[in-house]
Amino acid sequence: MVELDNLANFKLYFKYALRDLSRSYSKILSIIVTLFISLFILSSILTVEDSLETELNNNSRLLLGGDIEIDYNRVEGNLKLVNEVKEFSTVSQMVEFSTMISTINKDNNKSSFTRVKSVDENYPLYGKVIFEPEDALDKLNKINNTILVNENIFKNLNLELNDTVKVQDKEFKVVGFVKSVPDIGGAFVFGDFALTGKKTIDTLNLRTLGSFLNYEYKARFNKSLSILEGSQKVEQLFKNEKRATIMYPGNSAGGLRRIIDNFSQFLSLVSISAMLIAGIGIANTLLSFINQKNSSIAIQKAIGIFSGNIKIIYYIQLAILLIIISVFSYGLSFFLLPFVDKFISEGLGLSIKAEFSLINYIKIFLVGLLVIGIFSIPTVNSIDQIKASSLFRNIFQSLQFRYSKFSIILSIILLILLISLFSFGYSRPIYSLFYFASFFFCLMVFFFLSRLTILFLKKNNSNFGIPLKVAIKNITQSKSITPITVMSLGLGITLLLTLAFVGSNFKREIAKSIPELAPDYFFLGIQKDQKYQFQKIIYNFDQKSKIEVVPMVSAKLAKINGVDPNTYIDQTNDSHWVIGNDRRVSWSESIPKDNPLVEGEWWNLTKPNQLQISLDSKVAKDFGIKLGDTFTLNIYGREIEGKVINFRLVDYRDLSINFAMLLNPQFAQTIPHEYLSTVKFDKKDNFKEIDFLNQFPSISIIKISDYLSKVTDVLNKVFIAVVIISTITVIIGLVVISSAIIVQGKIKIFQNLVFKILGFSKKEIIFSSIIEFIINFTSIILFSTLFAVIASKYVIENIFQLQWQFDFALFICVSLGAGLVTLLLIILTNLKYLSPKAYPLIRNE
Amino acid sequence: MNKLLKLSRVNLSYNTDNNLINVLQDVSFEVDYTETISIVGESGSGKTSLIMLIGGLEKASSGKIQFKEFEISNLKEDQISEIRRKNIGIVFQSYYLIPNYTALENVSLTLEINKMQNPEQKAKEILDRFGLDQRLNNLPSQLSGGEQQRVAIARSIAMKPQLILADEPTGNLDSENSHLISKILFDYVNEEKASLIIVTHDNNLANQTKRKIIIKDGRIG
Ligand SMILES: Nc1ncnc2c1ncn2[C@@H]1O[C@H](COP(=O)(O)OP(=O)(O)OP(=O)(O)O)[C@@H](O)[C@H]1O
Ligand SMILES: [Mg+2]
Repeated sequence: MVELDNLANFKLYFKYALRDLSRSYSKILSIIVTLFISLFILSSILTVEDSLETELNNNSRLLLGGDIEIDYNRVEGNLKLVNEVKEFSTVSQMVEFSTMISTINKDNNKSSFTRVKSVDENYPLYGKVIFEPEDALDKLNKINNTILVNENIFKNLNLELNDTVKVQDKEFKVVGFVKSVPDIGGAFVFGDFALTGKKTIDTLNLRTLGSFLNYEYKARFNKSLSILEGSQKVEQLFKNEKRATIMYPGNSAGGLRRIIDNFSQFLSLVSISAMLIAGIGIANTLLSFINQKNSSIAIQKAIGIFSGNIKIIYYIQLAILLIIISVFSYGLSFFLLPFVDKFISEGLGLSIKAEFSLINYIKIFLVGLLVIGIFSIPTVNSIDQIKASSLFRNIFQSLQFRYSKFSIILSIILLILLISLFSFGYSRPIYSLFYFASFFFCLMVFFFLSRLTILFLKKNNSNFGIPLKVAIKNITQSKSITPITVMSLGLGITLLLTLAFVGSNFKREIAKSIPELAPDYFFLGIQKDQKYQFQKIIYNFDQKSKIEVVPMVSAKLAKINGVDPNTYIDQTNDSHWVIGNDRRVSWSESIPKDNPLVEGEWWNLTKPNQLQISLDSKVAKDFGIKLGDTFTLNIYGREIEGKVINFRLVDYRDLSINFAMLLNPQFAQTIPHEYLSTVKFDKKDNFKEIDFLNQFPSISIIKISDYLSKVTDVLNKVFIAVVIISTITVIIGLVVISSAIIVQGKIKIFQNLVFKILGFSKKEIIFSSIIEFIINFTSIILFSTLFAVIASKYVIENIFQLQWQFDFALFICVSLGAGLVTLLLIILTNLKYLSPKAYPLIRNE
Repeated sequence: MNKLLKLSRVNLSYNTDNNLINVLQDVSFEVDYTETISIVGESGSGKTSLIMLIGGLEKASSGKIQFKEFEISNLKEDQISEIRRKNIGIVFQSYYLIPNYTALENVSLTLEINKMQNPEQKAKEILDRFGLDQRLNNLPSQLSGGEQQRVAIARSIAMKPQLILADEPTGNLDSENSHLISKILFDYVNEEKASLIIVTHDNNLANQTKRKIIIKDGRIG
């Protein structure tokens, strides 16, 4: 590249660039459109992600419900210590527990599994509870036995104000319903919940609730105290209180953060695919643009402008375009936010606000710059091929992409930068790298596929009908759009098919697991003395029911090899949940039949007095745990050390009873515990929830099908979002193709004119372009399907560990849909070259 | 003796499909300051090729081309560009204006590139002189052939070059327009004491030059 002499020179070239752009932007409309669409998706993703993150950070105190939280789990806290905390802060005491709420005076009484929070007058310390009617929250602590259920329960149980519901064996009056609570950081994110006053704690027999009980003390420090000082004071006070866990705002909503991070990593990969497909189109359109300017460039050279400076004029044009489009698409992404906000606030009760972030804008600009750089360098370099001497000969040869050694190296460096930008900004770069590798592999295959098609058809151009012959000529001609069609459409359809396959397999597997694999009900909180009676009652409902009952105890993984487990794992890791809070652990004499041993040995019976732990092998891998490592478990405030002696393959999907940690029974039986049961009825209708609850008011029932339909609901929404976004890649592919057809337009007009002179009918011309499309599309679908099958099979079987199946109907729908739309577009774009008005154009040329 | 242009034993050959085509062979001649020369010859004899060599738009296969103190045959593309933009104006048979630039912009482009003061003003003056004052803001597609050629000549003389190369400048025009064009060209050469090399089939035009070079099968006869 030639260096700019000085600023004056640059101003001059800038002026030319601006003039060129303002007079011929319509010729590069497809560049503008594709660049805009892809930058707009990227902007939207970044903006939404950023706002969510800001919301989570700003509101981390809201989400936690205080400046600090002291968790006691199933035991009431040390009130003496709590009172000391009250000296320098406002404390809100609350108890959370899971229980059943059922109606009693309806024709058709129903019940619902609910997470109840009993709160005091100080609740909430931060944020707002949104509820109806106005005085409902007040009543909670003023009137005994009142309850505020969430909107969903209110609807599902057909409740009205002042209805009576039963919680355990006590009656409560429904004084209103809650739309959202601020502290959703914990278990409140999904599922149903209710609020009651603090007296509930005395009314209900909480001790029978077992491990699904949590005593919490949240504190808001007095103004005179900084957060740090306050936190240190609390830590000091609770230093020796082993039963208490202290939680900080930073830990809140870890799961939510992880979901957001994963989802936005995935979406930004889809958006970069769109950008790269757009890039192919940019290169093509730009080349034809420069081709059209062939004589102008030759004149500029004849006048004495250096080739390098002419290139700079084109780069300036691209830069101007990029600046305008990136500002515009970033700005526009803010208008999308209210819609996303509506979607999110319904589900999560978070409300996101758009915030300008220079870093995000720079990121978007940079991505655009890199993509344009990668695809425009060989194109703009083709300017070197234009010779001023062609002005004497009236002949302008069409240009080719020009790959000099330097430009190849530069493109590769830019590509590496782009990939790094999208890989290392996220928690799992390896997935992104793998994705990029597959993307470029597919790109190469589609490129060679198009070459191969051309080569094959060139050799086999024997005795066909005329339309077919014309179609083959179209495909094999030197300026054919076959490569660009095959590459852009191929990649787009591959992505769409892959995601569609993943989605349908996922949904099918989950739907399928209801009748086949899973039990009908989970029963939680069965006490030792209820175990026998429970089984008897279940058999009373249905003689042939299959009951599985396992012991259960809550434990917190306090230390790994003597150190804080947080040092072993990142917050965003899939397995981080294991150390987030109390976990349920169980024990078993023999290896559970669906939990095969993958490493180590089953219990060592010669050491019954020692705690031995069997660990989920995926968790072990994520934490980097080796056999023989020591875990310190905090069980009801008592710290017990044990050795990890084996790893099991745990498959949580089957919805039977699965635990990340199992203990050796000889040791565990000595710990106070309760039971968890799954039941599969022979005839589901035999079981009456309300009757059961009358006998066991403290046991909670989770109906698997309800639970699963909630999950499927969420999945459906996610699936729709994903398909919409991946459809954009196909749309961009289509824009690229239609721009390629337009680029080819002049040749087409000339060709069609000649055909017409030769007595060819319009129908035959259209027919030949349909044949051309079918030849190309068949090979695209063949390979797209192959790639989509491999990719979706890998994702379903290895990442989700589900069974993969080819969904023929979906395949037909997607490929036919995409095919028809493409065909329509091709015919529509070609149609305008069919009219005989082409004559004046020929004369002008 | 100080010459404007000096060609000595210049050869030009093209290699096409393993066939060596000798377009120009052993061409030598000199051009004085203020001299006007016409080059005539049959189609395909190499007239255009010769003009391209002189303008530095093509590289000679062998021989020396000296323009003023510069040995063009030894220079790099950008260096030749630099010389051309200050010293040589080229006029083509097919005008070649930049299609999406107005008449005025086409002319001022040359001036701007050479960092002249008030390029638009100067361009306007030249176009006025050529009778195009009503056509300044028209695009080439809105101009007649004769008008386009006048704009093209205005562009080529805007920098007051020492040498004008014209390849059949009237080839596409009727006799009236041809007249106008040749008048403009010769007026410029006389006023600015420049040199002109003109390729033409038009005997009238050729006879107006001081010297006539006849070229046949790539050789000067
Ligand atoms: N790039 C090239 N490759 C091969 N041969 C060429 C090339 N350019 C020109 N020629 C040949 O060189 C010869 C001279 O061409 P040139 O254009 O100089 O002729 P001319 O005298 O200008 O003819 P005309 O009067 O028709 O314009 C011709 O025979 C032509 O075929
Ligand atoms: Mg010629």
